[in-house]
Amino acid sequence: MTEPVVHIDNLTIQYPNNLVLNSLDWSIQQGENYIIGGTSGSGKTTIAKAIAGLIFTDNTVKVTFDDSKSLPAKVTYISNWYQFTNLEGDRNFYYQQRYNHHQGHDTLTVKAELEHFAKKENLDFSDIQQRVQDFGFEDVQSSQLIELSSGEHKKLQLVRGLWEKPQLLIIDEPYTGLDKNSRVVLNNWLDELVQEGVQLILITNDTLLPQSINRYAHLVDGKIEIVDSQADFAKDKKRQQKELPAFLRAIPETNFDTVAELNNIFIRYGDKVVLKDVSWKINVGEKWLLQGPNGSGKSTLLSLINGDHPQAYGHNLSLFGNKRGSGESIWDIKQKIGIISPEIHWYFDQNATVWHTIASGFYDSIGWFIDVKFQEKTQIEELLEFFDLMDVKNKNLHTLPLGKQRLALLARTIIKNPPLLVLDEPCQGLDNDQTKYFNDVVDELAHYGKTLIYVGHYVSQLPSCIEHKIVLEKGEVKAIENILETVA
Amino acid sequence: MANYFNTLPLREQLNQLGVAEFMDSAEFADGVNALKGKKIVIVGAGAQGLNQGLNLRDSSLDVSYALRKEAIEQKRDSWKNATDNNFTVGTYDELIPTADLVINLTPDKQHTSVINAVMPLMKQGATLSYSHGFNIVEEGMQIRKDITVIMVAPKCPGSEVRAEYLRGFGVPTLIAVHPENDPQDKGWAEAKAYCVGTGGHHAGVLKSSFVAEVKSDLMGEQTILCGLLQTGSILSFDKMVEKGIDAGYASKLVQYGVEVITEALKHGGVSGMLDRLSNPAKVKAFELSEELKDIMRPLFQKHQDDIMSGEFSKTMMEDWANGDANLLKWRAETGETAFEKTPAGDVKINEQEYFDNYLLMVAFVRAGVELAFETMVEAGIKPESAYYESLHETPLIANTIARKKLFEMNRVISDTAEYGCYLFDQACKPLLADFMKTVDTDIVGKNFNEGKDGSVDNTKLVQINDVLRNHQVEIVGRKLRKAMTAMKTIKTV
Repeated sequence: MTEPVVHIDNLTIQYPNNLVLNSLDWSIQQGENYIIGGTSGSGKTTIAKAIAGLIFTDNTVKVTFDDSKSLPAKVTYISNWYQFTNLEGDRNFYYQQRYNHHQGHDTLTVKAELEHFAKKENLDFSDIQQRVQDFGFEDVQSSQLIELSSGEHKKLQLVRGLWEKPQLLIIDEPYTGLDKNSRVVLNNWLDELVQEGVQLILITNDTLLPQSINRYAHLVDGKIEIVDSQADFAKDKKRQQKELPAFLRAIPETNFDTVAELNNIFIRYGDKVVLKDVSWKINVGEKWLLQGPNGSGKSTLLSLINGDHPQAYGHNLSLFGNKRGSGESIWDIKQKIGIISPEIHWYFDQNATVWHTIASGFYDSIGWFIDVKFQEKTQIEELLEFFDLMDVKNKNLHTLPLGKQRLALLARTIIKNPPLLVLDEPCQGLDNDQTKYFNDVVDELAHYGKTLIYVGHYVSQLPSCIEHKIVLEKGEVKAIENILETVA
Repeated sequence: MANYFNTLPLREQLNQLGVAEFMDSAEFADGVNALKGKKIVIVGAGAQGLNQGLNLRDSSLDVSYALRKEAIEQKRDSWKNATDNNFTVGTYDELIPTADLVINLTPDKQHTSVINAVMPLMKQGATLSYSHGFNIVEEGMQIRKDITVIMVAPKCPGSEVRAEYLRGFGVPTLIAVHPENDPQDKGWAEAKAYCVGTGGHHAGVLKSSFVAEVKSDLMGEQTILCGLLQTGSILSFDKMVEKGIDAGYASKLVQYGVEVITEALKHGGVSGMLDRLSNPAKVKAFELSEELKDIMRPLFQKHQDDIMSGEFSKTMMEDWANGDANLLKWRAETGETAFEKTPAGDVKINEQEYFDNYLLMVAFVRAGVELAFETMVEAGIKPESAYYESLHETPLIANTIARKKLFEMNRVISDTAEYGCYLFDQACKPLLADFMKTVDTDIVGKNFNEGKDGSVDNTKLVQINDVLRNHQVEIVGRKLRKAMTAMKTIKTV
């Protein structure tokens, strides 16, 4: 019998007050391609990092490569969280920086980044030319890293990892933020790699998978369990729907009829046109879905509405009944908006506790700096209770499982009961049950007079209150539709 | 033009030097109202100009940019910066006559020519703002009597001013009104409104004067901030190479070490920085820094004296007139140092190692911060001002060294700071020659704690801690840092 590719013998990983992996044993044989699923916080990322040699395992993990394969004898781990630095090695970005980088060439271009990577890993660029095209990634090659959307960052991360064709490829949440077409492209690519001898471990609770997947495992009490199918994965405890706090059942006051009115908007960076002749009118109380492939301009469009984009001035653009640049500050605008997006999550203050995260929603700040009034404190407590976050309120946001982090940020989004909710892919990284729960809350909030803009790629994962849809493609409005039937 | 400071009687000199009051946030309750609906025209669209303008506009104010005709015609970066962000851009002739507030954010060296061009165009009773007082104090620029002259000086690079604002915060800021030019008594109201517009009121604002700002700013940048960091970096690198430490390692330790070490300074002051060391290392660093303070004190005093008398600005302006001959020569020399030319090695140095293996820099920083602070306070500058211009800014400058070494530091800081930095560096190196002969790799390059048992004398440790914690820079620092607790960490490693 050939040696297992991965052999784990009695692996224990312990963080302070938290036993993550407990005397775990596991062997992965040649030809086995795994999905690891299960509950959030069960140790999926930890086991992946242990196999990839990224955490200290005291020789309890043994990876054996096949000398007869021509593929590189290495394990590549693609994390669920991208990280890039500017040219000076600095990692201090803020979420609006995409729109504020001006003339500075702070970060590498995508092309330069790929070339740099090719040189370092001794790869040939022609090998992935087609892939880059299939991913719809061709046009962004001259863009700087800072300009990319979260979906485009994910693609870049995947392209780099798959390009290497390592003998063992581990991808943590491969589908986060990818549009529909890109998922199909990714799965086909992974299947082809398996044909060439790559072995896969994917961490996901998604169900649209590469065909070559033939094994399923989840983690229970710090140990691995092999199961027959994804249906057997342990699920997070169903959250009990609680009554929405009273302050959120108040219909926000609005002394305007339109939330936003955009007429023939063009946004350019040098020669690059990001939004082209975009017009869109949102009336008070309307529930909109904003869709479009990665890089179609969704985030830029939203940045015009939430006051983050410096080019918003000088356009035919009105927010909450006032023409932009007619004497309103961005804080006046933000005061009326509750927003959540992958970028805000990504750049959120590393040191903020859950409590501070929610409190910052009153001031639309990233991190919390100002004394909170008594009434505000009461609201914070009510939301902590509502989202079952009371027991973690003093923990740092970034130490919690992704699902909880999202809930805390959702609480931040609604804490001031704003008239407009902007939910940009709010369910990234949540499993189906968590998404359902989240969207039910959105539906209930929507019921109380809020206006909604929701960004989501998958029809099965939307709140049912959606009634209008706007679709962007390459910076242009492709369609504006009414949805009479519920989409869900 | 005569040096303004030197025209004042002593009493008035001391009076203006001694302005420093930490402002209560209630003083900013009126927000940006004093400037609401007024026309603000910014001259210059570099890092400060552009980013302050973006903030002011986002705070609901009416901002446009006046640029020189050539900058517009040749579509220079300043023109691109402003037009790409959909600002109105025009020539001085087009925009200045419409302005209620003209904000001058050009480099020091251009101030005289900019003001001479702008002033005749300004309307009666308008306001002129600076973010550095050099032109008024050192060059003695006389502003038309109907014009109000204010200063708003964010104590961070322009990119930080923008980043902190968008986070909902701000950067610490100095504001001032020139006593010779406040005919309508509106200077403070407008300076406060401008400060709110940039977000500065969230992070702590110091009420200062043109004189206090200039005399302390020059002193800080020449000595601890740029001068000493440059001297300390070069001497440390050369010493390690001389003693056989790998040059790549030495280069990395020096390039990033100063940032890691001063990050501790930012959070806990000088004593916080020394608390990162083991007890024996702390004792050693303390002793070294005492020695360094004794050696360098006369040099710090000379710099302060030359700044006070105007000797420094006079010499520098002579160099301006001479096409920056000295500045360019010294800049080239700095570029040729071994430290500058040796790339950081591909070695991993963990955070604590930067302290344990680089005691010498800890000692330099303590000596420099305390000396600069003490010298300024002795000269009549208030402790609050002295704190901002010494301890507060040290980590910000250290960050530029981590980015691209001394080249980057000298690129980012003003030409004025750079000129003063070289003056200090040239005088300081020979002064430290004997001291450096006594330096070995235990305090620079290798772990000081290696082979030591960690024991120290109780009384001595208590005394040292006492001296460190009760220094005036620590007492005033504790108070001021409270207002800036939310400042984010800057990290390149």
